[in-house]
Amino acid sequence: MDKIRLEHVSFVYGDKTPFRAEALHDVSLSFGAGRVTGLIGHTGSGKSTMLQLLNGLEKPNEGKIYLDGQDIFAKPREMRQIRFRVGLVMQYPEYQLFEETVRSDIAFGPRNMGLSDEEIAVRVTEAANFTGLPSALLDKSPFDLSGGEKRRAAIAGVMAMRPEVLVLDEPAAGLDPRGRDSILGGVRAYKEATGATVIIVSHSMEDMAMFCDDLVVLSKGKVLFTGTRNEVFSRVRELEEVGLAVPQMARLMMLLREKGLPVPENIYTVSAATEAVAALFE
Amino acid sequence: MKTVSLGQYYPAASPLHRLDARMKVCLSILFIVCTFLAKNICAFAALVAAMLILVALSRIPLRLILRAVRPVLFIMVFTAVVNLFVTKGENLLFSWWKLQIFREGIYNASFMLVRIITLVVGSSLLLTYTTTPIQLTDAIESLLSPLRVFRLPVHEFAMMMTIALRFIPLLSEETAKIMNAQRARGVDFSVGGPVRRVQSLVPILIPLFVSSFRRADELATAMECRCYRGGKGRTKMTIPHLHARDGVALVLLLLFGTGIVLLNRYGYGYTMTR
Repeated sequence: MDKIRLEHVSFVYGDKTPFRAEALHDVSLSFGAGRVTGLIGHTGSGKSTMLQLLNGLEKPNEGKIYLDGQDIFAKPREMRQIRFRVGLVMQYPEYQLFEETVRSDIAFGPRNMGLSDEEIAVRVTEAANFTGLPSALLDKSPFDLSGGEKRRAAIAGVMAMRPEVLVLDEPAAGLDPRGRDSILGGVRAYKEATGATVIIVSHSMEDMAMFCDDLVVLSKGKVLFTGTRNEVFSRVRELEEVGLAVPQMARLMMLLREKGLPVPENIYTVSAATEAVAALFE
Repeated sequence: MKTVSLGQYYPAASPLHRLDARMKVCLSILFIVCTFLAKNICAFAALVAAMLILVALSRIPLRLILRAVRPVLFIMVFTAVVNLFVTKGENLLFSWWKLQIFREGIYNASFMLVRIITLVVGSSLLLTYTTTPIQLTDAIESLLSPLRVFRLPVHEFAMMMTIALRFIPLLSEETAKIMNAQRARGVDFSVGGPVRRVQSLVPILIPLFVSSFRRADELATAMECRCYRGGKGRTKMTIPHLHARDGVALVLLLLFGTGIVLLNRYGYGYTMTR
């Protein structure tokens, strides 16, 4: 089942000016319902642009985008409903915090949805739980939090709308390993609790390998290839040709296999690699 | 918002783009003086001709040039209407209640219109459209540098302008990002009465202020790290030179100014009173 489908989508910045730049060119693609899809690509490959198309923040110059089979631009007046259903966490979302307390900032989205106060309170607690924000923090000013906590508060602000599709643009960028784990753990908790579809952009192939079911590789505004995680990461050479890496352990295993050692495919973590290598000596 | 351009600068390879920025500042002041010198139909015709030559030289699309006129449209209409009714003359054309229109009024109104259009188009072609903001602030710094004798902080003033200009695209990009982030949380900036609309700006302005202060702080630190301590003894990476073409441009414009004065004296037709 496709949750979101893009058909022949093209997007151009600054059309008809000397600064014209094509961000996406004739992209057709679908995101499976209830699956975690990772978007991989260089800076400027069109990832962030694509994410902003998915909830209608930007409109493609050509092509159509379907959510559950319905054209999201068909009814411009109901764009807000689309944005509540497709929750977008932009890059460095902590810079969007503005309320007096973390609690009311998280409640901002649900309040815009017109929910009752009780329902909003439930959603805020729920979102704070997903992201692991202790309730003591909720009554602080968001500007007094640490960087990682701000990030989690901002993500909670989108989760509180309970979107069917959660879209995240490099949610872990610039965080330490623990901060990164807690954010990705929060996204996973949200997905498991709600069955949402997740679309995520990250530069860490290790994170992608751990986190994603499917992968989409973008290069220069075009889809290079799509597939399940294992399908995509097995194309080490092709990925390296466009300057993208595979998880380091996957590369190590590939080199070992090329040397004729019988190690299994689809190994992405150090612990799994250790086991595989240890098995060689038994 | 990758399309944000600094100011109105339009990149092109034209003779106007190649002129020295300092010269362009002087030229546009001269041109503005010319627009105010013109008094009769011959002189204004010469102005319009000069403007059209500048338009052709600049290689800037006409619709962009028209866009420069749009902000002053109100002033144009206002001035024209005032001139139309206030000017008293000999040939009364129309009279109703206290309103009188003289032939001289029509002349004055249309001359004012031409004056404003040539002024706006001329100065924006000579400066904002063909000169990058950085060139412009450098030029202003260089032209104002004699004022250092009076202990005016010319360099600091120019640096402030440069930084302010540098921050315009940054802040507009930032604004777009924050707006998008809040729109993603269901803010609708286009609905509701005035109060609702002002309220919906709060989620944008607060993050914007916070991030401007942060950026200013970071910039100050970065400048200090590179030992910036003001203008004293600072050298420039690009040192502008005056070329023959700059001299030619100046001579041409001076000739043009003389021409306007001569046309005022020897041209025919109605002479504007102010």
